Amino acid sequence: MAKKLYSRPICIASALLVPFLTLFSPSWLSLFGITPSWAVLWLLPWSLEVGLLPGLISGLYLGFLLDAISLGEISHLPGLVLLGFWWGWLGRYGSYIQGTFNLGLLAWIGSVFLSLTFWIQILVRNFGSHLNSINSWAFQTLLLQATITALFAPFICSWTLLIWRRKKLR
Amino acid sequence: MRVQFWGAPIRLRFLRRITPWVFIGVSLFAVRLSKGVVFSDVYSLMIRPFWPGSAQKEWLQRSIQTEQYARLQLLIEDNQRLRSLLSLEKSALSKGLISAAVISRRSTGWWQQLELGKGSLNGISEGDIVIGPGGLLGRIGSVTPTTSRVLLLTAPSSRVAVWIPRNKHHGMLIGRGTNRPQLTFVDRTPKVLPGDLVSTSPASTLMPPNIPVGVIQSIDFSALPSPNAVIQLIAAPHAIDWVQVKTR
Repeated sequence: MAKKLYSRPICIASALLVPFLTLFSPSWLSLFGITPSWAVLWLLPWSLEVGLLPGLISGLYLGFLLDAISLGEISHLPGLVLLGFWWGWLGRYGSYIQGTFNLGLLAWIGSVFLSLTFWIQILVRNFGSHLNSINSWAFQTLLLQATITALFAPFICSWTLLIWRRKKLR
Repeated sequence: MRVQFWGAPIRLRFLRRITPWVFIGVSLFAVRLSKGVVFSDVYSLMIRPFWPGSAQKEWLQRSIQTEQYARLQLLIEDNQRLRSLLSLEKSALSKGLISAAVISRRSTGWWQQLELGKGSLNGISEGDIVIGPGGLLGRIGSVTPTTSRVLLLTAPSSRVAVWIPRNKHHGMLIGRGTNRPQLTFVDRTPKVLPGDLVSTSPASTLMPPNIPVGVIQSIDFSALPSPNAVIQLIAAPHAIDWVQVKTR
């Protein structure tokens, strides 16, 4: 795996695009100001192709990268590590995933799960602050991000999945 | 009969003679009653070409501004001296501001932060405050040599000590994700009204005092454990391309 990755720098470069896209956060690709979760859009096809443990490690590394460019007390790590593991498991032991609807649904579930991990971390951090209004904002952000990510997934994930499969990463 | 015949023309002639005087008298009385409305207006209209020019007005305004500026400088120095005696943070105007461009904006979503195009090489350090047009935007959360990251007031992890300058009620401004953060008062019964200005607290050791933050939009007096208010920020982070960083 490591040897294959080393011989294909485009795989590493594509992962480095995720923080850049997150920082760029183009407003014309947003839904009510919420941009898609680029981490989910990259990790989904990658983990489906590379398998269980590489998927988990990719989620961990991607989490480190995104935490490096984010302020605050919440982290990407728990959500991305578990998603990488789950999608890697699906790619290795689940049925062959190719359809755009399947990819959209997996991206929607992944985005909801990732947002839930953020929400839980915020709730734990603000425990006792009596900030009930955070919940309505968090729910709105969760739904909007999941929707826009699921809308982008059929275009981006199916294309990148095709590229990884041609490169035979596994 | 003759006297009566001649009497009428005599009275008519008298009336005709005094009528203009009566008319003038009544008119002047009306002017008196109206406090000279017509008179003053006509006078003003007539002498308009001879009014004092703008030069004198500007000269007066400039002298007033100079006087106010001198008084302001004295007050600032006085304030600095008193704050240094109390070991509090120095005033907002004590040091220079660094202008920086916003190179990345994440003001919605799970993270609310801005990336600025200047960093530690330009003298910016962690904890510096960031001001937009109109008021406070947030604080520098992390710095690289050429960039710096701003934690906006709207972020859920943001906590800033503020007060209401009108009646000196203190509180904590807590970000809650939306564009309008929440102000939790320290007092149980704050005498505040919607529309009151909120600024940074002079009691804070982290922030310069009296930097405008926002305006109270609504207040919930029944909230527990203490009343809270929704604040409309003056500086809108989603529409700002240049900010000023106040170094410490």
